[in-house]
Amino acid sequence: MKVFIAIALFALWLVLSASFNPAHVVLGAIVALIVAWINPIGTPYTRRFLWLRALGYAPWLFGRVVKSGLHVSRLILYPALPIKPELIQHKTKLRSEGELVVLGNSITLTPGTITVEVAPGELIVHAIDASAQQDLISGVLDEKVSRLFSAWEGDQ
Amino acid sequence: MTALAVFLIVVGLFFLVVGSIGMMRLPDVFSRAHALSLTDSLGAVFVLAGLAVYEGFTLNFLRIIVVLLLVYLMNPAISHATLRAAYRSGLRPSAKEEK
Repeated sequence: MKVFIAIALFALWLVLSASFNPAHVVLGAIVALIVAWINPIGTPYTRRFLWLRALGYAPWLFGRVVKSGLHVSRLILYPALPIKPELIQHKTKLRSEGELVVLGNSITLTPGTITVEVAPGELIVHAIDASAQQDLISGVLDEKVSRLFSAWEGDQ
Repeated sequence: MTALAVFLIVVGLFFLVVGSIGMMRLPDVFSRAHALSLTDSLGAVFVLAGLAVYEGFTLNFLRIIVVLLLVYLMNPAISHATLRAAYRSGLRPSAKEEK
């Protein structure tokens, strides 16, 4: 596992340095090995993250980001500034750290809603107006995020 | 190809400008953070995508993609950290005096 991390880090080094001068390449290899060796492997995630489903989730999320981005732009440019900001408590059935990270990040990425405080099962979200909260209240986002994680090992 | 790149960059610039306007017009730190997320998750991303298209498939293209992914991973973390700090230090949204 650490070998894969080292290879990935080395590839990233090559892309970013864009220099195939032997001194740089060797230095990159050494740094990649040290970083991979120092850092502990394994994640705090208690449930498995399904990478293939994430590939489907990302475009959906981006579409949603564009939609609510246009909405927030309209709010900002409208002369009367018709915003109605409020903090809402969002109850969720998601519990594990991985799920909460993905859910919180997705909420914050979407213009119009930002995660303010996170606890297992409950998020405090700042929403700029009522229509920005819709996907959250309807539970679509929770559903999509929970499908990114499988319940038990081997359920791929 | 250049036309597509220009289109993407112009769309990105639109969101950057709107985000900047929002930064000035919105009343408090919470709603200003929404303008920030507008500039980051749409403005910067469209500009970078335009640059990537303009560049074509070279090493620089890969670098731009790496930057794009980093923006998408770090922008929510930064907004969240800022707002959580504001929230924990006792700030609350000030909606009342606005209307």
